[in-house]
Amino acid sequence: MSRTRTTEERTTSPPQRERYLRRARLADSLETIVWLTVALVLALFLADGGLAEFKTVPGTFTALGIIAGLVGTDLMLVQLLLAARLPVIDRAFGHDHALLVHQRMGKPVFYLISAHMVLLWIGYALTARLNVFAEIWDMFTTLPDMKIAYLGYGLLTVVVITSLVIVRRKFPYEAWHVVHFLAYAAVLAALPHQFSTGQLFADGTWARYYWLALYFGVAAALLVYRFIVPMLRTLRHDLRVSNVVAEAPGVYSIEMTGRSLADLRVRGGQFFIWRFWSRGLWWHAHPFSLSAAPGILRLKVTVRELGGGTSELGALRIGTRVSIEGPYGLFTDRARTTRRAVAVAAGIGITPIISLLEQGDFAPGEMTVIVRAPDEKGLYLHQELQKLCIKKSAALCVLLGRRPKKGHDSWLPARDASRHVSLSTIVPEVRDADVFVCGPRGWTDLVVEDAKQAGVPKFRIHYERFSW
Amino acid sequence: MRARSAVLASLASAAILLIGWQAGSEASTPGGTTADATTPGAGTPSGSTGSTAAGKSAGPPAAGAKDGTFDGRQIRTRYGTMQVRTTIAGGKITDIVPLKLTDVGSLSGEIDRQAVPMLRSEVLSSQSAKVHTIAGATYTSQGYLSSLQAALDAANFKG
Repeated sequence: MSRTRTTEERTTSPPQRERYLRRARLADSLETIVWLTVALVLALFLADGGLAEFKTVPGTFTALGIIAGLVGTDLMLVQLLLAARLPVIDRAFGHDHALLVHQRMGKPVFYLISAHMVLLWIGYALTARLNVFAEIWDMFTTLPDMKIAYLGYGLLTVVVITSLVIVRRKFPYEAWHVVHFLAYAAVLAALPHQFSTGQLFADGTWARYYWLALYFGVAAALLVYRFIVPMLRTLRHDLRVSNVVAEAPGVYSIEMTGRSLADLRVRGGQFFIWRFWSRGLWWHAHPFSLSAAPGILRLKVTVRELGGGTSELGALRIGTRVSIEGPYGLFTDRARTTRRAVAVAAGIGITPIISLLEQGDFAPGEMTVIVRAPDEKGLYLHQELQKLCIKKSAALCVLLGRRPKKGHDSWLPARDASRHVSLSTIVPEVRDADVFVCGPRGWTDLVVEDAKQAGVPKFRIHYERFSW
Repeated sequence: MRARSAVLASLASAAILLIGWQAGSEASTPGGTTADATTPGAGTPSGSTGSTAAGKSAGPPAAGAKDGTFDGRQIRTRYGTMQVRTTIAGGKITDIVPLKLTDVGSLSGEIDRQAVPMLRSEVLSSQSAKVHTIAGATYTSQGYLSSLQAALDAANFKG
């Protein structure tokens, strides 16, 4: 009796679940390693007799300041790793999610580094029996490498302020990105005082080996995966624009051909960061998802003019060289956790869903595609989508109409929202499905919220948002 | 993160912290015990057991020590570089002379004037660089004792 039940369970446990469990284990292991590095940094401080500092009041301030600096530096290096496009991080969390965590860590890390500075001012001032301002001056003028450390702190402040959402919107992406690279300079500027004043790399301590390994590891990862690998891929695959098709006013499909594209191992739904080497465009790097299953000879993206260099894309000449970073992203059938899937897209957000469905291993009836647009003209690549849904026996649901004007609190057209349509009324089995969402930021957040309301667990919601 | 992984991660973190704490407290305790053990040798006339204990703690460990003067490493501290020179005669630390003292900040000189003689006598009586740091003179103590330890290592002195 029990035997039949186990076989049944085995057959009903889909391969997607196995794959998800493997990925979850990997993700948890990586997260655990981060926590362990924090514990290790504290343990190294304790092993070095750090506890003795807490016997006096000035010592307590100093020790807390040192701890804040150590943990802050450790986490800042983790932040750099999250942005380093490490394949293992992309596989476990997806590039977008990794960058989201990177962004969320920004403020706490900045607070830790600030606390490091302020607590040490107080601790040293108390030890030297000076007032805090005299001590700050004293440190600035007499301590080795302190001037450049302050410069590093200044750079870090600029990086953090320009990354605050309100401020960031005011800059073009490229300007913000260049400023963001100052973070590397900030980390480097902080290094000398860690050697001389901080004794972080003092001879004969275990801490020395830990920090050396961490700094060199992060530097190597950044160099290899952010610069060398993309460069080699660009050279090797030698992508060129082979065709530009106007799909609708302001919407273009760009096809590219290249060598040995199969070796890129792209999955449908992934994106590259593209750079088209033509006048006026080369300094923009665009993250575009594939809008067709990656071919052995051809890659295709479909883009809508949204400013920031996208307006010149329609005028791209055949033969233009293209450099790539990627493929990145976990918006693929690898992200699935179960058999059923629901894909929800708005406007040009349909592109990764087409390549996902085209390449993904979806059995008949497993996938439901929901597309929303203000009117029929806003349905991009619609013929291709219809053909594909027929070929894959996927259900297709098209929602046309303007969204409610007031507050934009629904992802649905106004008419459907007022009739209390929701994800769970369109697809009643959504609770047991993976939900893939792609669209503008605010809209995507609303769909994700609706999915959660419908009882879809967080690990089954996969999304890609266009605005940076 | 799933609950099971979170539990494992926090247990492992706690274990790492505990090891660090243990290592830190072990490094500071030997100084305390030797300082206690040598007090009878310093002049209590009472029992013979006390003096043998003192003899044991001071005698054998220094067996391989070379006689002579030895300069310690220069140790950079927040208040300046410190360095000491030690003299070893007959397998015992007989003198310690500071070569470089802290010089940064207005109070460095005063703190050193008070702390250095205290450190010197502590070390001479315990015959080890593993003595407690002087409260209020943490940097001086650490610089002084680290430099001294390097000098003792150079002399092959095991205290």
